Amino acid sequence: MSRLFFREAIARAIAEEMERDPRVILLGQDIAAHGGSYAETRGLFERFGPSRVRNTPVAEAVTVGLAAGAAAAGLRPLAFITYIDFLMLGLDPLVNYAAKLRFKSAGQLSAPMVVKATAGAKGQGPTHAQSLDSWLMNVPGLTVLAPSTAGDAYGLLKTAMRAPGPVVFIDHKRLFPLGGVVPDAEELIPVGSAAVRREGRHVTLVAHSYMSLVSLEAAKQLAAAGIEADVIDLRSLWPIDWGTLANSARGTGHALFIEEGQEVCGVGAELAFGLQERVPGLRVARLGTRRTPVSASPVLEAYAIPSAQRIAQSALQLLARNRSVETAQGSL
Amino acid sequence: MIRKLVIPEELGESIEVRLLDWLRAEGEAVKVGDALLEFETDKAIVLVTAMQPGSLRRCFFGPGDWMKPGDVAAWLSDQPDEPLLASHEAPDDTLMVAFDAT
Repeated sequence: MSRLFFREAIARAIAEEMERDPRVILLGQDIAAHGGSYAETRGLFERFGPSRVRNTPVAEAVTVGLAAGAAAAGLRPLAFITYIDFLMLGLDPLVNYAAKLRFKSAGQLSAPMVVKATAGAKGQGPTHAQSLDSWLMNVPGLTVLAPSTAGDAYGLLKTAMRAPGPVVFIDHKRLFPLGGVVPDAEELIPVGSAAVRREGRHVTLVAHSYMSLVSLEAAKQLAAAGIEADVIDLRSLWPIDWGTLANSARGTGHALFIEEGQEVCGVGAELAFGLQERVPGLRVARLGTRRTPVSASPVLEAYAIPSAQRIAQSALQLLARNRSVETAQGSL
Repeated sequence: MIRKLVIPEELGESIEVRLLDWLRAEGEAVKVGDALLEFETDKAIVLVTAMQPGSLRRCFFGPGDWMKPGDVAAWLSDQPDEPLLASHEAPDDTLMVAFDAT
């Protein structure tokens, strides 16, 4: 095991896949000589050359469109979107073309491409701060992955780069300054596999990406109040690891879903409904970013996105709400 | 006086850095302007330079080790033979240094 920066884990996964498969090419803004917006492609241009590591203009529709066409023609492109906010410009080739290609051609054509997009708020204002994860989960034909650790970024990106169809790999600005343990030997993480980060018997906290780390902080606060939380890091938003979620939820009976995106039609809304179908009697709550664009002001940004304290409070409210319901029923 | 060399808090809370190398060895004298160590953040290489003289007495991290803002990376002393504190006692005084990021 080695401890690497998040960006180094990504660079290592890409380099290994480029060595393994000559069809892999990289497309994105500043990924060549500059080494990537988050320094996550450092060294790849020098190692693999300009034909496989290509800068693209500030035109995400072109980047994703090129990737989709190249994938359909037999390459395995990895396209970089520096801010997931601007993946909106590339949604037409991704959603209308790449995600549908296998279905429209009865499996004769496919678009084995990865879009790596960076989400989350970190002081850059309303159009460089969004988390559009649930938009992407909504599209049939897309696989959506969102790691929270360097080790998972390594294992999931390698899996994504071998997948048969389009994958969106969502990372987060606040993950790049962190280090994490990465296995020395090659290790792939399958899609649809969540990770249990902490075990507890009172309430299940379900999160993904950076919010997994914030939820772990919340679990520590809850533990100080005598509440033990199971913390599940989804890792894969589609497909969903219902088995791991259901196992935890059966044990705790209470699930709080946390995300940095909006609650309305969010990841939590989908998971809460789906998990209640699988675990009768489960009590649920959700917590996302407040219904406002995220400001560049650090004070307003911190107010908008879920904090460990708000997560802990929401978990306590979920448990208290149910106790009051039980008390009310008991008095009937 | 024993002084501590601190990784700057200004880097932020949610960040880790990796020590690349010491540019002075334990026991060596340090002049104003001498480079002491280099560390790496997710985006930059940071060179730490002494802004007051002394002797590098004890390094608490080695090349490749991970540190956080606020960590004490080393102790220095004004005089080369000043007795060091017991290890559980942290010096109150902080060595003045400059940080240059590239």
